[in-house]
Amino acid sequence: MSLDIEAVVVSAIATQKQLDTASIKRESRLQDLGVSSLDAITIVYEVEEAFDVEIPNAELEKLETVGDIVDGIGNLLADK
Amino acid sequence: MGERIVITGLGSVSALGVGVAPFRSALLAGTAGIRNLEKIDCSGLRVVIGAQVPHFKAADYLDEALLPYLDRFSQFALIATKEALTDSGLTAGQYATAAAIIGTGCGGKETDEATYSQLYRDGRSRVHPLTIPKGMPSAAASQVSLQMKIKGPVFSVTSACSSSGHAIAQAALMIRHGMVDVAIAGGTDAPFTCGLLKSWDMLRVLSKDTCRPFSKDRSGMVLGEGAGILVLESERHAKARGADIYAELAGFGMSSDAGHITDPSVDGAARTIGLCLQDAQLSPADVQYINAHGTATQANDVTETAAIRKVFKENAASLAVSSTKSMHGHALGAAGGLELVATVLSVKEGFIPPTVNFTEAGDGCDLDYVPNEVRFGSIDVALSNSFAFGGLNAVLAVRAYQ
Repeated sequence: MSLDIEAVVVSAIATQKQLDTASIKRESRLQDLGVSSLDAITIVYEVEEAFDVEIPNAELEKLETVGDIVDGIGNLLADK
Repeated sequence: MGERIVITGLGSVSALGVGVAPFRSALLAGTAGIRNLEKIDCSGLRVVIGAQVPHFKAADYLDEALLPYLDRFSQFALIATKEALTDSGLTAGQYATAAAIIGTGCGGKETDEATYSQLYRDGRSRVHPLTIPKGMPSAAASQVSLQMKIKGPVFSVTSACSSSGHAIAQAALMIRHGMVDVAIAGGTDAPFTCGLLKSWDMLRVLSKDTCRPFSKDRSGMVLGEGAGILVLESERHAKARGADIYAELAGFGMSSDAGHITDPSVDGAARTIGLCLQDAQLSPADVQYINAHGTATQANDVTETAAIRKVFKENAASLAVSSTKSMHGHALGAAGGLELVATVLSVKEGFIPPTVNFTEAGDGCDLDYVPNEVRFGSIDVALSNSFAFGGLNAVLAVRAYQ
């Protein structure tokens, strides 16, 4: 997998929230970025499409930071 | 009979442009917004013309951050609502508890069809998570409430091509009964999707050249899109705040044919016009102008003419009847809203918009259709007709306000 997971996640958040990618860090809290639950499922959808993985609903509720999404995808890809 | 209802704000998005100003100019000039279709991804499409909002870019009118949540039909509704509210001069506080009743015949079909294409054509397993909130038929009404902070009764009304008429009548009922002082009402539709174009084409009612209502060589309807939204207010509320009043919504009639799913009915249409006159306490002699349903299909134009003759009898001779669909196309659930805006301008400013593209009267079409040229003169009372598929009829009466 050559795609940079963090770059894809940051880009999905930036698009959804109309933010500058530079303002989104690995440790940024989703709540602080203004990501609502509807935003979160849209961002997760973009990331799922990019990596062809499925993030389970139970995991979705645990996501608090940008890094949580990146790590979650990393784990799913490792298990593939 | 309860509160009198007045119209204090107008908003429109149509093939004639974004805003009431270009809409009004086109009605006066008799300019049609029917053109070759703008780019559409649809193989084997036989429909080549339409009345689309020209070169529409939502970001020119709406906050870009909102756009991912807005189907095209919601975009139109929001733009027209904002215009109508600004025009009314109401403050945010004054419309905070207003009603907003938004008609739509189709709902968010662009969103739905994109999802179905992804699923059934591309064979993907996942679809966009905003499909439901963007595509639901009530999405436009919801977005009007969300973005304008309107917290009164808000919902959608759907009755195909009469959706706007029924929505406006519903809003008027609420004002008449004292439930609300202010209501935003009208309709919106965005039917230029591959699936809808092909489906309309298969009904064999779409014209290949242009829209010629009531003419002998008429060749069918031309699909349109947009939104027509009006601000209705109790006369008491409007006067108390010193509002500029366009006209009175004097009454409305609603009835159903219980006949056929597509064929119109003379008796049904006539009964609805009669009910409207009765509700507005008008006689046929009081009416000078009818903004017709006038789709330019074979069935509608003859039926509507016969219905008008049945109600107006000897008064039909002095009645002007025109179809502004010849200019803005048939915008389905938005049609009645756009046409009421046209009717209100007509009464307020004293002009009758023409039926453009008129050649010679069709068989069974023997009224004064105001062919091709705008006509000036004072109008005291005008009606706006909507006769939908499924025999669902709504007629609205507008009276000059003194």
